[in-house]
Amino acid sequence: MSLAAPPSSLVQPVEPAAPPEKTLRRLFLTLFLRGRSSRGLKKQTAPKSIGQKLSLTLGFYALFGLFALFFWGQPIFALSVYLHAMTFVFLGMFVASSAGEILFNSEEADILLHRPVTPKALLWAKVRVLVEVSLWLAGAFNLAGFVVGAASPDGGWRFLIAHALSIVLEAMFCTGCVVMVYQLCLRWFGRERLDGLMTTAQVMVSIAAVLAGQLLPRLVFAAKSVVTFSQTTWWIALLPPAWFAGLDDALAGRAAKGSWILAALAILVTGIVLWAAFGKLARDYGTGLQRLGETVSRRTSRGERRRWIDRLVESPPLCWWLRDPVKRAAFLLTAAYLVRDRDVKLRVYPGLAPFLVLPVVILLPQYGRSGSDGGFGVLFVAAYLGIIPLIALSILQYSQHWQASDIFRAAPLAGPAPLCDGARGAVLCFLALPAAIGFGLVLWLPHRDSSELLLLLPGVIALPVYASIPALGGGGVPFSLPSEAAKSAGRGLHMMGALFSSFAIGGLALLSKSQGYFWWFIIIEAVVSATVYLLIRRSASSAAWTSLE
Amino acid sequence: MLTGMIEPTSGTATVCGFDLRTQLIEVKRHVGFVPESGAVFESLTGLEYLEMVAALYGIVRSAARDRIHQFIAFFDLSFETLSEKLLGAYSKGMRRKVVITAALLHNPPVVFFDEPLDGLDANAAVGFKSLIQTLAREGKTIVYSSHILDVVERVCHRVIIIDKGKLLLDGKPDELVASHQSGTLEKLFTQLTGGTELERRAEDFAKTFRP
Repeated sequence: MSLAAPPSSLVQPVEPAAPPEKTLRRLFLTLFLRGRSSRGLKKQTAPKSIGQKLSLTLGFYALFGLFALFFWGQPIFALSVYLHAMTFVFLGMFVASSAGEILFNSEEADILLHRPVTPKALLWAKVRVLVEVSLWLAGAFNLAGFVVGAASPDGGWRFLIAHALSIVLEAMFCTGCVVMVYQLCLRWFGRERLDGLMTTAQVMVSIAAVLAGQLLPRLVFAAKSVVTFSQTTWWIALLPPAWFAGLDDALAGRAAKGSWILAALAILVTGIVLWAAFGKLARDYGTGLQRLGETVSRRTSRGERRRWIDRLVESPPLCWWLRDPVKRAAFLLTAAYLVRDRDVKLRVYPGLAPFLVLPVVILLPQYGRSGSDGGFGVLFVAAYLGIIPLIALSILQYSQHWQASDIFRAAPLAGPAPLCDGARGAVLCFLALPAAIGFGLVLWLPHRDSSELLLLLPGVIALPVYASIPALGGGGVPFSLPSEAAKSAGRGLHMMGALFSSFAIGGLALLSKSQGYFWWFIIIEAVVSATVYLLIRRSASSAAWTSLE
Repeated sequence: MLTGMIEPTSGTATVCGFDLRTQLIEVKRHVGFVPESGAVFESLTGLEYLEMVAALYGIVRSAARDRIHQFIAFFDLSFETLSEKLLGAYSKGMRRKVVITAALLHNPPVVFFDEPLDGLDANAAVGFKSLIQTLAREGKTIVYSSHILDVVERVCHRVIIIDKGKLLLDGKPDELVASHQSGTLEKLFTQLTGGTELERRAEDFAKTFRP
C-alpha cells in the first residue's frame, strides 16, 4: 500500500525549535503538577493552586524530616539508615502510585503515538519528571538530616555531598525498579492480563518499599546498638536502603570495609536496574502504550466473578443489610471498581499498603509484642484498623470516570446518603473485614493466645465511626471527584488528623489498661462511638446534593 | 497502523515514499491524524497544547503562533479562550476544533480523519467539509473514516467499505451506488453488511414503549 507522493509543503522551521525531549519533559511535568483532567479550571487559578499544593506537600515532608534531629550526635551509618529507610518508603510509594498514570495513560496513545517522537524519548521524558519530583520530595524530607549529618562526629561537609549523591541514586533506583517491573509485565504477558498485572506489581512495589523501610531500622537498632554489615549480619545487604546508607558511610563516615561493600552494591544494582529498564527493555514501551489503547475483548471469568458478587449480595447477612436497591447498587459499583478499575486499584491498594504492612511489622514476634510492652503494639495496630475504611472511602471518592457520577444527581435521589452507605458496606466487607481477620491471625498464631485479641476491640469499636466520616454533610460520594483532586495537601492533613485521633484512642486504651480500667474504657468508648455514629448518620441522611459549581 | 500507532505484523506500506517499518518517524512527520476519541491533555490550555504539538514537529513558536492564528480565524475561536481556558473546560465541539488544528498544524500531505464531525456545530461542520475538499483538490491525501454515510457520499472521491476486516467494495461513490441500484450509499452499506429489516425492528421496539 502506498499513500501520496513526496511532499514539499511541510511547515519548515526557520530557526532551531526546542528539541522534542525538552518539550515532552515540560509537558509531563505540567501534566503531573496540574493533573490530567481539569474541567472548569482557568489557567490563572491552576498555577496558584499547584504552587500551594506543592509547597504544602514539601513543607509537610520537611516537617516530618525533623525526626532526624533525634539522631543528633549519632554515627553517620545510624542516621543514614534512618534517612534512607524513610526516603525509600516515601519514594517507593510516590513512584509506585504515580508511575501508572504517568507511564501508561490509555488516552495518550491517541495524542502522542502518531507524532514524530520515539517511544524511548517518551519514556525518558516521563522518567526525568518522576526522578525530578522524587528528588524534590526526598530533598524536603532530608533537609534536617543534612544538618544532623554535617554536625555528626564522623560526618562533616563530606556528608552533604555523599548524602545528596546517595539520594539521587536511591531516586533513580526506585524509578528504575518500577519501570523495570512494568516493562517485564509488558514483555511477558498479553494485553488482557496487563492491567491487572501492572496493578498487582505496583501494589507489590509499594508493600516492598514499606517493608524494607520499616524493617531496616528495626533490625539495625534491634540490640540497642547499631548493627553494620559483617559476616554474621550479611542479611543487611538484602535491604536496599542499607546500600545507600553504606554509600554515605563509605564516603563521609567510618569508611569501613562493610560500608564500601554496601556502597558498591548501591551503585552496581542501580546501574543494572537502569540498564535493564531504560536500555534493554525500553523498546517494549511503545508496544505497551499501543496495547493500552487497543480494545480487547476479555475472556476472563468476569462473568463468573460478577455472579459470585451477585450471589454474595443476595445471601444473608448482606441481603438483610442491602435491602435498599440504591444502597445495593452502590455496593456492587464499589466492589466492581475495587476489583476491576485500574485507576482505583492503583490508588486504593498502594494507599492502604502502609496501613496493612506496618501493623504486621509491629506485631512481628521479636518486636513490640504485648508481652514486653504492655499491649502497646496491639493497641497501635487496633488504631490502624479503625482508619482503614476511612482511608479507602476517602480514596474511592476520586475516579477518572467522575463525570459519570452525574447519573447519581440525575436519578430521583434526595441526597447521596444511600450511595455512601453502599460504598461503605463494600469497603467494610472487602477491605476492613479481611484486614481485621488478618491482624487477628498475626496476633493469635504465634502463641495461640486469644486474650490479646481483645486488645483489638478499641479499633473495632471505632471502625463504624471512622467509616462514616467521609459521608458527613453529604460528602464522600463514590467516584464523584476527578482523580487529580486526590493530590490535595489538605486531604493529607485531614488523614494525619484522623491518624492522630485513632492513636489517641489507642493511647487512652493503653493508659486505662495499665490502670486496670480497660473494660470501663471499652464501655465508654462504645457509648461515645454509638452517639457520634448516630449524629454522623443523621447529618449524612439529611444532606442534599451539593451544587455542581 | 498507517499513522504509526500500531506495529505492523506483516506486509509493506509506504507513506509519501517512506517505509512504515524502517522510516516510522518520517512517516509520522508527514501524517496528520484526528482520532475519534478527540483525546487532548485536558489540563493544558488550547494554546499550550497546540504549541506543544508544534514543538514536537520542530515548528518554532513564532511560526506555530502564525499558523494557530489562521486556524483560530477559520474555526471562529477566540484567542483569549484558547490562551486562558484549560482544554478540560472546552465544549466537545471546541475541543474537536483544537484536535483538527493539531492535526493540520504542520501542514501534512496525508491526513487521517476518524469521525471528525463528531461534536462540531452545524456551521463548523459545513466549513470543515469545504476545507477537506479544498485540501484534497490542492493535492493532499485525505483518509476519512466515518459511519455518517451521507457525508461520506458527498465529500469523498473514493469509498472503501470494510466489514469485519474484509474489503467489500472499493470505488467512486456514485458509480458504486449506480452499479448496485441502491439509491444511496447508506442503503448500499446496509445491503452489503446484512443490516436487513432494520426499519421493521425499530418499529417493533418502539411499540414496547407504549403505555
